[in-house]
Amino acid sequence: MSILKANIGKGINLYVSQMDKFKTLTINIYINNRLSNETAKFALLPSVLKRGSLNYKTYKEITRHLEELYGATFSFSIYKKGERQIAQFRLEIADSNYIKDDITEDGVKFISDVLLNPLVVNNGFDSKYVQQEKEKQKNLINSRINEKTKYAVDRCIEEMCKDEDFSIYELGSIDDVDKIDEINLYEYYKKVIKTLPIDIYVIGNVSVDKIKSLFDKYFKIDSRDVVYIPDTPIYKKVDQVKYVQDKLDVTQGKLTLGFRTNVKPGDDEYFPLLVLSGVLGGGPFSKLFMNVREKASLAYYAQTRLERFKGLMLIMSGIEIENYQKALDIILKEVEEIKDGNISDYEFDSTLKALNTSMNSIKDSATQVSDFYLSQNLSHTDYSIDDFINKINEVTKEDIIDVSKKIQLDTVYFMTKK
Amino acid sequence: MREIFNETIKEKMYHYEHETGLNVYVMPKKGFIKQYAMFATHYGSNDSQFIVPGETEITYVPDGIAHFLEHKMFEEEEGSVFEEFSKNGASANAYTNFTTTAYLFSSTYNFYDNLKLLLDFVQRPYFTDENVEKEKGIIAQEIRMYDDDPSWRLFFNMLGGLYHLHPVKVDIAGTIESISKIDKDILYKCYRTFYHPSNMVLFAAGDIDINKVLDIVNNSVKTDKRQGEIKRIYPNEPESINKNYVEQKMAVSMPLFNIGFKDNDVGYGGKKLLKKDIVTQICLEILAGRSSDLYEELYDDGLIDSTFDTEYVGEIDHGYSIIGGQSKDPEAVKQAVLDKISKVDSIDDGDLNRIKRKITGRFLKSFNSVESISHNFITYYMRGINILDYTKTIEEITHDDVINRFKTFFDEKNCVLSVIKP
Repeated sequence: MSILKANIGKGINLYVSQMDKFKTLTINIYINNRLSNETAKFALLPSVLKRGSLNYKTYKEITRHLEELYGATFSFSIYKKGERQIAQFRLEIADSNYIKDDITEDGVKFISDVLLNPLVVNNGFDSKYVQQEKEKQKNLINSRINEKTKYAVDRCIEEMCKDEDFSIYELGSIDDVDKIDEINLYEYYKKVIKTLPIDIYVIGNVSVDKIKSLFDKYFKIDSRDVVYIPDTPIYKKVDQVKYVQDKLDVTQGKLTLGFRTNVKPGDDEYFPLLVLSGVLGGGPFSKLFMNVREKASLAYYAQTRLERFKGLMLIMSGIEIENYQKALDIILKEVEEIKDGNISDYEFDSTLKALNTSMNSIKDSATQVSDFYLSQNLSHTDYSIDDFINKINEVTKEDIIDVSKKIQLDTVYFMTKK
Repeated sequence: MREIFNETIKEKMYHYEHETGLNVYVMPKKGFIKQYAMFATHYGSNDSQFIVPGETEITYVPDGIAHFLEHKMFEEEEGSVFEEFSKNGASANAYTNFTTTAYLFSSTYNFYDNLKLLLDFVQRPYFTDENVEKEKGIIAQEIRMYDDDPSWRLFFNMLGGLYHLHPVKVDIAGTIESISKIDKDILYKCYRTFYHPSNMVLFAAGDIDINKVLDIVNNSVKTDKRQGEIKRIYPNEPESINKNYVEQKMAVSMPLFNIGFKDNDVGYGGKKLLKKDIVTQICLEILAGRSSDLYEELYDDGLIDSTFDTEYVGEIDHGYSIIGGQSKDPEAVKQAVLDKISKVDSIDDGDLNRIKRKITGRFLKSFNSVESISHNFITYYMRGINILDYTKTIEEITHDDVINRFKTFFDEKNCVLSVIKP
C-alpha cells in the first residue's frame, strides 16, 4: 500500500491511495488548528456549514442531494490530538463499479461546495442557522455528563492539565459559545480558510491523477497565508499527586488514573511506551485484566489508553464504590511490577502480537489509514504502517523498563455517588 | 457446498451444512488483511422458559443466564481461552442479545488455528462452583455500568412500556439478584440444550480459503447425533401495549427520549420478514429521516438535534421501531410525530426512489468491513434471512407496500414514550 502526496495550494496537502478492495471512495478533509479561546468558534463552524451552502441552501436540500448520490454519507467531527484541534469532514460515496453512474466528480464538487461556498447573507452566515447551532453546541457540551465512562476520563484530564491548553474541551465552553454571532463567526471562517493547514486524504479505487485534477478544479482557495501550529508541550515533572473526586447520581464508581509519560509522539521511546501500555492494560492478556478483573473480580473493565500527542497514559475502571482503595492499590502495584521488570513472556509476546494485529487491521479501513498518516505528520515521522509495525517488533523488555522510569502518576480521579 | 452470489455488490458466499446440522457460511474477501469468524448459537436472553429435547417438563431459568454462560465459556480447566487467542495475536470476544449468543475473533494471521480454537472452546464447557461464584462479581459490575447508562435504561424502559409479558422487556444481563441464583448445574443444562451444532452457525469472512475452513469444521465439530427440537416457550403477549409513558430520573443534562411503536405483524421470518424490515426502514426514513419535512420542522423548532435517529428491529416473534434522541420537550416531539403520521395518505415516488437508493448505498458500504459483514450476517441469519437477498428485496418494494405498512404499523394505540429526565 502506498500513499501519494500532491500539493493543491499553499498549506493544502492532498494524499491519495488507490485501493480496490473497498466498495466506496472515502474523502477525509482535516483542518488543523490549536486549542485556544477560539475553540468553541472553530467547533461551531462545521455545524453551520452543513446547514446550507450556496448551491444547497438548506440541510434538507443537502441531505436529499446525498441520498440521490446513492446514500453518500457526509459527516464531521471535532477532536483533539494533543493541543491541536482538528475538524474532520468525511464524505463516503459509492464506487462507480457497483452503481450505474460515476459520482466521484459529484462527490468532490459537493464537499468543496459545503466547505468553500457557504451560504452568506449580508456579510455573515444565516443568523437563524448560527443561533440554532449555538444552542445545539451548548446542549452537547452539557450532555458530556450522560456518558459516565467517557466523562470520567475527560474529567481526569481536565483536572490533571488544569493550567495547560490540553484541558480545553474540544467543543469549547458555554461562555465562549455565547459570544459568537453570525458576523464574527463568518469573519473567523474566512481566517480559518485562509490560514489553517489542510490535509486531504482520498482512499478508494480511483487514480491519483483524476483526484488531483478534480481537487484542482473544485477545491480552490486564493491567497492563503498559512500559520504555523506549534507542537504540544509534553514534559512535566509531578511534585505531588492530585486526588480529585466528583459526586454524581451514579451507582458505580469510576476510577481514572492519569500519568505523565514524558515521551514525545515522535520519539523512538514511543514504541516501548506503546508496548508498556499494552502489557499493563491492553487486553485480556494484560496485568490489569488479570489482576483487577479475573483474580479480584472487582471490575468488568480495567484498561489503559495513551494520549500519544500529549504524552499521557490513562487507566480506567468501573468499580463498586467501597472498593476504591482496594482497586487503586492493585492498579498501582501492577504499575510498580512493570517498573521492577516483572513482565512475563506471555504478557510481552501477547502485547506485541495484539499490536501487530491492530496496526495491520488499519489497512482495512480507509478512515483509519487517513488517521494513521495524519498522525505521522503530527509526530514529524514518516513511517508506513509496516515500518511502524517493525518498530514495535524491535522493542525489548529492557526498553519497556527504561521507559517505565519516566512515567509519573499525576492525578487520581474518582467519580462517586452523592 | 452451495455458492450464493449477489450481482449488484459482486460478492460471493459459500454455504455448507455439516452432518450434525451445523450451518457454515464463508465469504472470501480478497485483499483484506483482517479475518473475522463468528460461532453463534440461537440462544439469547429471551429463552427463559423451554422444554429440553426428550423431556416433558418446562425448565425455568434465572434472568441473565444466557449472558452468564457466555462469560463462563471463556474459562477452561487450564485457564482462560483468551490466553490461547492472545498467543496467536487474535482478539476474541463475545456478546449476548435477546436471541443470540455469539463468540468471535479477529485476526490478521494464524486464521485457521484461531478458527480451530474458536470451535473447540465453544464446544468445551468447564464450570465449577468456584469459577461460577467469581464471575458474579465481574457481571455485577457490568450490570452496574449499564444501570448508569441513560441510553440503555431509556431503551429497556421503552420495552417495558411496549410489552406486558414478553421476555424482551427483561435486561439481557439480568439483575444482581437473579444472577445470584445461577449455579453450575443450571449452566450445564442450558449449555447442553442450546449449544448443539444443529442450533448453531459458523460465519467467516476474510481473505480465506473455503476448503481449509471446511477441513477444520469436519475435524473439530463433534459428530453427535442430531438433536430433537427445543421447545421455546413464550408467554401469550397481548397486542396492546403495557404503558404508554415511562419515565426515570438520572444524571443527564437534558431529557432523552425513545418513541416506540409495537409491531403486532409478527410470527414469521425469512424473505417475508426481510421485506417487512426494509419497508419499515423506508417508512421511517420518509417519516422522520434526515431529509424529511418532520426532521426539518422539529430541528428548526429546536426540539431535536443531531442525536435524533430512527431504527426498526424486526425479530421473528416481536418487533418495534424507535424514534429517539434528546429534547427539551419529548412530549412535543411525540405529538409532532403522531400528527405527521395522521396526515400521511400517499407516498411520493421521488421520495421512495431516493430512499431506496440511500438504503442500497448503506448496504453496499457495509461490505467494506469484515466485522460489519459478519455481524449483519449473524443478525439476519437468526431471522431466517440471508443478507445477500437484500438488494433484490429493495428492488421489489412497491409504493403500495410502503403505504400499507404506514397505515397499519404506526398506530397511536401501540405507541410508547420513554423518557430519562435530569
